[in-house]
Amino acid sequence: MAEDAGHDRKAFDPMDPWRGVRDVYMDAWAKTMVETVNSEAYAQATGTILDTYLTVSAPFREALEKAMIKTLEQLAMPSRADVLSIAERMTNIEMRLDDLDAKLDAIHALLARAVAAPPRKPSRGPQPTDKKAAKSKKAKRGKK
Amino acid sequence: MADSPVITNPYADAAERLKTLTKVMTTKAAIAQTPKELVWTLNKAKLYHYVPVLPMEKRHPVPLLLVFALMNRPYILDLRPGHSFVEYMLNQGYDLYLLDWGAPGPEDKNLKFDDYCLDYLPRAVRKLKAISGVEEFSLLGWCIGAILTTIYAALRGDEGLRNLILLTAPLDFSSKQKLTFARWVDERYFDIEKVLATFGNMPGEMIDYGAKALKPVENYVGSYVKLWDNIGDPRVVESWHAMNTWVTDNVPLAGGAFRQLIVDLYRNDKLMRGELVIRGERVDLSRIHANLLTVIADDDHITPSCQSEPIMSKVSSPDKELFRIRGGHIGIMAGSGASKHTWPHVNGWLAPRSG
Repeated sequence: MAEDAGHDRKAFDPMDPWRGVRDVYMDAWAKTMVETVNSEAYAQATGTILDTYLTVSAPFREALEKAMIKTLEQLAMPSRADVLSIAERMTNIEMRLDDLDAKLDAIHALLARAVAAPPRKPSRGPQPTDKKAAKSKKAKRGKK
Repeated sequence: MADSPVITNPYADAAERLKTLTKVMTTKAAIAQTPKELVWTLNKAKLYHYVPVLPMEKRHPVPLLLVFALMNRPYILDLRPGHSFVEYMLNQGYDLYLLDWGAPGPEDKNLKFDDYCLDYLPRAVRKLKAISGVEEFSLLGWCIGAILTTIYAALRGDEGLRNLILLTAPLDFSSKQKLTFARWVDERYFDIEKVLATFGNMPGEMIDYGAKALKPVENYVGSYVKLWDNIGDPRVVESWHAMNTWVTDNVPLAGGAFRQLIVDLYRNDKLMRGELVIRGERVDLSRIHANLLTVIADDDHITPSCQSEPIMSKVSSPDKELFRIRGGHIGIMAGSGASKHTWPHVNGWLAPRSG
């Protein structure tokens, strides 16, 4: 019984009184930060930082890239550009294969429909085409 | 007799909390668990067909294709069992497909909206039609996925598109003052050519930083504080773990597409002005005739409502609806209230149009 009563009681958390203060502080901080990131000054500052990083790192990156290309050339190995070019071509081939696959599917569907369709019953009377054929046969015989 | 508070051991409590915190911060949650089949691939893109859960006679005949953004994983739509849009829609009888754009490699740095909208999307749709055996389908685009589906609907809408659902769609970029992103990528401050010359594709980490920096305190501090406060609640921890797994799984954005997003859309608002040209074809939004549902998140700080509303007056769809809901950019579809509000509304709108 005593244990049950104990479970119903709210657990004491010494941090509880601080949470309210913390939340109020964080709300105010969040609003200030949203205003800050929305300002022109922030956009300008981040732009400048990014630009500086890209400008400063560019010569090192280019030097490394050139050295790598030369090394790979010496080792008779394909460069990064070669591999990328092959990958691009593979995508083009894949796209064409996909189109071929779709066309084959369409042909298969047509064939399946043609096979599934009931065969035509021959009509009793002579067909106009038969007449034409008979006439042409007679004409051929006459010529002979 | 008044109840006296129970004194807990704060050290043991803190140790337990730290253990849980370490676990959720260092492991991946089990996400995207709904059974699906890979039915088509092209380069990095993959088309999945979810295994239907209802018998054929109870299913809607018109299939639904989900298209998410290019720079995030699409499994946010199938976050975790019991809380998944995909799972919900399957239970409502939809024949469901998901287009995963994949992560572009260095060889894909020149991929543009042109390629996604006119090479990838039409082929995925072709495959969907071949599998489902029907000529009409519905499209759901979310975030950048909504830009792609809108462009597709304007250029290839006559290929059987019956219903178009746009979720938090950033389409109108005219209100520069309301768009923090627009300020950051202004040509005075952001040299896009230098960025793309360096990286090729826009790194996922930079995009993630941009999205989080819009609300830095909430994203970098508040999220963890909330977790700490509720770390004893397994439901909150599970939900946080799944969301954190998704948030930290970043995908780069193909350089060509990023350039179009910044230059053509954020800086010049070409889509709404009718000046966007995709592989020689002008994107005319009035050529959209499909039934349209636009969903706006009222508290969306990434895509404010002013970006999604104007499309309603541009399209020629006789059947169109604008649905506003309280919540954030991701929260409306993946938050705790999504299953009570957004998903039923999407289903309520789509079901009678999918017969």
